[in-house]
Parts: sequence; structure tokens; C-alpha cells
Amino acid sequence: MKFDKITMDHGSGGKLTLGLIENTFKAKAGLDSAILGDIAFTTDSHSVQPLFFKGGDIGKLSVSGTVNDLLCVGAKPLYLSSAFIMEEGFLIKDLEKIVESMKDEAKKANVKIVCGDTKVVEAGKGFYINTSGIGKIIRPIDGLNIKEGDKIIVTGNIGDHGFAILNERENFNLTSNLISDCTELTGLILPLIESDLDIHWMRDPTRGGLAMCLNELCYKRDFGVEVFEELIPISDEVRSISEMLGIEPYYSANEGKIVIVANQKDASKILDVLHKHPLGQNAKIIGEITKDHPSKVLLNLSYDTKRLLNMPIVEKMPRIC
Amino acid sequence: MDLNKFKDKNLVLSLAQAIQKKSNSFGLLRIMHVCGTHENSIMRYALRDLLPNNIKLIAGPGCPVCVTSSRDIDAIINFGIKNKSKCIIATFGDMLRVKGSQYSLFSASKAGLLNVKMVYGLDELIELARNTKKEVIFFSVGFETTAAPVASVIKNYNLPENLSFFSVHKYTPNGVLELLKAGKINIDALLLPGHACVISGVSAYEKIADNFKLPCVAAGFEPADILSAVLMIINQIEHKTSKAENEYKRVLKYEGNKLGQKTLNDVFGLTDSIWRGLGIIRKSGFDFNAKYNFLNAKAKFNIQFSNKYIEEQKGCRCAEVILGVIEPTQCPLYAKGLCTPYNPIGPCMVSDEGTCRNWWEVKGEI
Repeated sequence: MKFDKITMDHGSGGKLTLGLIENTFKAKAGLDSAILGDIAFTTDSHSVQPLFFKGGDIGKLSVSGTVNDLLCVGAKPLYLSSAFIMEEGFLIKDLEKIVESMKDEAKKANVKIVCGDTKVVEAGKGFYINTSGIGKIIRPIDGLNIKEGDKIIVTGNIGDHGFAILNERENFNLTSNLISDCTELTGLILPLIESDLDIHWMRDPTRGGLAMCLNELCYKRDFGVEVFEELIPISDEVRSISEMLGIEPYYSANEGKIVIVANQKDASKILDVLHKHPLGQNAKIIGEITKDHPSKVLLNLSYDTKRLLNMPIVEKMPRIC
Repeated sequence: MDLNKFKDKNLVLSLAQAIQKKSNSFGLLRIMHVCGTHENSIMRYALRDLLPNNIKLIAGPGCPVCVTSSRDIDAIINFGIKNKSKCIIATFGDMLRVKGSQYSLFSASKAGLLNVKMVYGLDELIELARNTKKEVIFFSVGFETTAAPVASVIKNYNLPENLSFFSVHKYTPNGVLELLKAGKINIDALLLPGHACVISGVSAYEKIADNFKLPCVAAGFEPADILSAVLMIINQIEHKTSKAENEYKRVLKYEGNKLGQKTLNDVFGLTDSIWRGLGIIRKSGFDFNAKYNFLNAKAKFNIQFSNKYIEEQKGCRCAEVILGVIEPTQCPLYAKGLCTPYNPIGPCMVSDEGTCRNWWEVKGEI
């Protein structure tokens, strides 16, 4: 597959994004943050449209996304940078709202925003925030110890953010109560990192949703993933919009969930810890690591049948009939 | 309506068991469906794995954009290019990436050759036309399910003068009838499309059931719908009958939507139509009646069609996939990884409704 130009699908977090990382950036797609000795370092750019949505805004997202990426490698998030690219004519009062959200979210996560940058571009070119973050590694969680039989846990209902954004962006005017799950997860995840529970890998299933996250988990590895449809927590709201649009919830982005791979002996203890926190009430064990089909994610269906849960292909669009 | 009822594990498994039990009473049973949404459900829930080996669920010509001819795609693109400064071509998302002889609407638009706008619905289309001085031409694709609401908008709304329609709508019952007549499809029963039958009625298939001795059952899209319909087909075979039946009673009436049919007939008439890779099929397309011909973009702008067009790119076997003669994985382009959703060669790999696309999503590369 060769492309002369960047397409929107290169940014969808799916297979084309992976191709870009490997072939053009000549880098290895791997963890959510780099582990540099006892420091974790990461960066994330945010381009969500609309900028304000039910459950958050681009400011909140820019802090929570970076904080969660640091948590995923076993770090305590400490400091963030923030860089703004703003179009001429952008309302100061909207910028103030965004900054306020960043401040609130940083406070919740107990991180400091310590440096930044401001650029203004011509009208019509949009509004973007980049945040970078560093954290102190409590213990490196790098995915190297993943083994057969490890359990896969998701910390709550999946698909909320993607459908909430789609609903607002496309003006579907659905009356259902779709709210983005956008939030930082320090309170939920830090106690796990600080415990001695045997956690092997973590990732926040953002773009490309749970399906992409699980595919990345076993990408080019000697193991595969087996998950069970009946165990994956999904809200009724997400289920119904998913049916209506013909887009499966597994492909819808999350901004306040983590997928955890852990030694099976500790899986139920991890669930106990998660269930005690308000953001982890719906945490579930959804499957396990297997040697049966390396690099593949299989979804066990309710009817004792199974199928591949493939990487998302392109930005999903509603079917026409 | 609680759709979960029709996904219920016990119900689905008991239907599968009932089908298994009866499967010794007949030989090979080839059931063709003609709806992309059916194929989507069948793949998504791996329903073929619940059926005995002698029952084959075959995907037929059920994807409207897949059967849209390159001749039509070329014509709209060439018109859009020649009149770039004066017009916008609007269409539904699935249609954008289907390639004609050279370009798809999407690739031609990305190359800056013409103005294309994707719309989600007809209200958005009307809004688009109201907010521009340019001519808006809607490349109007879909089976009777989509043709009926288009007809209703044309008949009942006061449309902006700069809006017109290029109809490539197809009529499923006649398409299937003519393909059977020509001996192009070889099957034992038909699973009828639940959505399309809402308009045409199950009754539109009586002729097929009678003339070709084919059991025909209209089905919904949940796992229990599809398996119930298979069971109804088996029952007909056991009783040596062949009639048009309705499994999807919670949504569709046997005789269809009379008002929808009337509206369709007021606005459109049936005309011979080219189905991609399958050639001209008698009275299988919808085009404008005289009364509404002022909204017909083909007439309004005297759009030119070329008889030099390429339906199938080299090596592409979409036509055989559409007829259920081969499975997608039997196409060398699919098997060698040369035709994928990232780089679709044939129309069946483009649309979410396409058989190859549905297979790729669930089976991946082989």
C-alpha cells in the first residue's frame, strides 16, 4: 500500500497510522510514553471538533490525554507543557474557558503546567493544543512480560467519547444522553501502579477504540488476544447509537478508560481496587492472552461462534441503507 | 422496540438447533440474500458457523453502490469537471469512493477537478442547495428503500430551483427476476431484503416464487430474524411449496407501503438499467416520469454518456462476487492482498455494504 499524500485515514489511529509511524517516521509503534530511566516522557496533539462537547472540551482533553499516557507506562504524572495554535479571530472568552478546563483537570491530576507556546495562524485554520508531559516512573510497565493466560481488564464502559463527538459533530440530534468519558485517571490508576499487583501492560483505548488497542497489544508479537463479547461493558446509549449508525462500539474512541493486561493471579484483586473508585465501577475482565493465534484479536460471540476483531480500516461512516 | 430480544442467545441457539435437526431431510440448500446489511449481520455474528454444512448462505447483488455502472459514474464526474465553476455534485458517503473508469467522485474532488459534497440525508441536501447559487446535482443511488424517500421529497417539497437529481436507483425485484431468467444465478431459495421490502412488499416476489419454484422469505437483520427465515425456507422445502413469506412482520407489511409505492410510481418509472458487471437489466432502474422531468439532471443539463467505460479493473472479479458465483476470498486480488479497503480495486471492497468489504473486516487478509 503506497500513498503519495496524507489522507484523513492516516490520522484515524488505525493501520494507516501504524504504517506512517513505521515507514515514514522509521519509528516503532509501541508504548503510550517513552521510558527513559526513571522518567516517562510523552506528547499528544489535540484537534477535536467541536472544541466544546458534552463531558469536556479540547482543554480538558489535552491534559487528561497526556496524563493518562504517562500513567500507562507506570509513571506518576508530574509536569506538562502546553502549546496553542490558534486561528485569527478566535474568541478570547472561548480561550479562557479552555484554559480554565486545563487548570481544573491539571489540579485533579496533581500535575503542573510549567511551560508553553502560542502561535496564531490565519483565520479558518482551526484551533489546536499540543501537550507534552513528564512523569516519574514508579515501576516501568513496558509490555515485555506479557504471557499466555494473562487477563485483559477494561476499566469501564467503552465507546462513549467517539459516539458523543460524532453525535454533536454531525448534528444527528439524537435525544439520547451521550456524554464523553473524557477524564484524567490518576486517582484510579496510580494506586495500582503503587501496589505490587502484577500488571504487564496498560493503554488508553483512544482513536480506533478498543479494537485498535487490542490489535496494538499483540501487533507483531508471538501471542494473540481472545475477548468475549458478553463481558465487554457497553452502555445502553452507546449500544443504541451503534445499532443506528452501523458502527460497532469496539471502534469508537474512549478518553477515560484504560485497558490493563495483568497476571491472572492478580486480576480479581485489580478489579477490587478498580471497583472501589467511582471511575472504575464498571471495570470487567474481558478476555485473555493466548498463544493460539499470534498477532490476532478474536472476538468470542454470544452464540459460541467467534470472529476476527480487525484493526479499524478507515474513519467509519454511517451506512446509506 | 427491544432489538436485544432478537439477539437473545437462547433463542438464536435454539433456532440453530432446529435447523441442524432438519438438515438431513434435504441435500445442498443454496440460499441467496440480496442485501448488504444481511451480509453485514451474517459476518458480524458469524451466522454461517451456526448452520449445517449443506446450507450455504450466498451474498447476491445487495449493495447499491456496487452495482452502479462506471458509465453513470463517468458521466457525473465528466459533467462535474466541465462545469466546475457552476455546480456541486452531492451524494451519500458510500458512493464517493467507488471508482468509475478513471476516477471516483472522491479522487476527482481531491485532485481539485470538481466540487463534491457528501450528505447524510435529504434534508442536508436541500439545505446545501438553499445556501449556494451553484447548481446542486444529487447523484441519487440506492434500491427502492432510498428511491422512495427521494421520490417523496421530490413530490412533496418545494425544492430550490438549483437542485436536480441524477437517478441511478435500482429496483431489486426486477433485478433478481431478470438475473434468474438469464440463468445467471443458481440458487434454491431467496432471503428477501427486509428494508427494501418495506416499500416493494413481500408480494413483489410472488412472481419469482411461482415461476422459479423458489421459496422466498423476507427477513429482518438480527441473528434470530435471519435464522428464523432460514427455518421458514426449510419448512417450505419440506412441504414442497414455494411462496413469498414474511418473517419481518414487526416492521414490514406483506403488500408493502402502498403510499410509498404510489409516490415512487408518480415520480419515477421503471427503465432498463445497467448493473455494474452484469450488463443491461430490463426494467430494473428508476428514472423520471414526464411530470417531474424538470428535476432530472440528465435532461436538464443534457448530460452526455460515453459508451467507452471500464466496469472492471484488471483482475477484479466483483461481478462474480455479486452473483454469488465465487466467494470474495476466491478472487485472486483479495487473496493476494492486492485489493483491500485501503486500496480497493473493485466496488465490493469500497462500500460497507459490499461483500468483499464485509468479509475483509471480519476475516482480514488471508
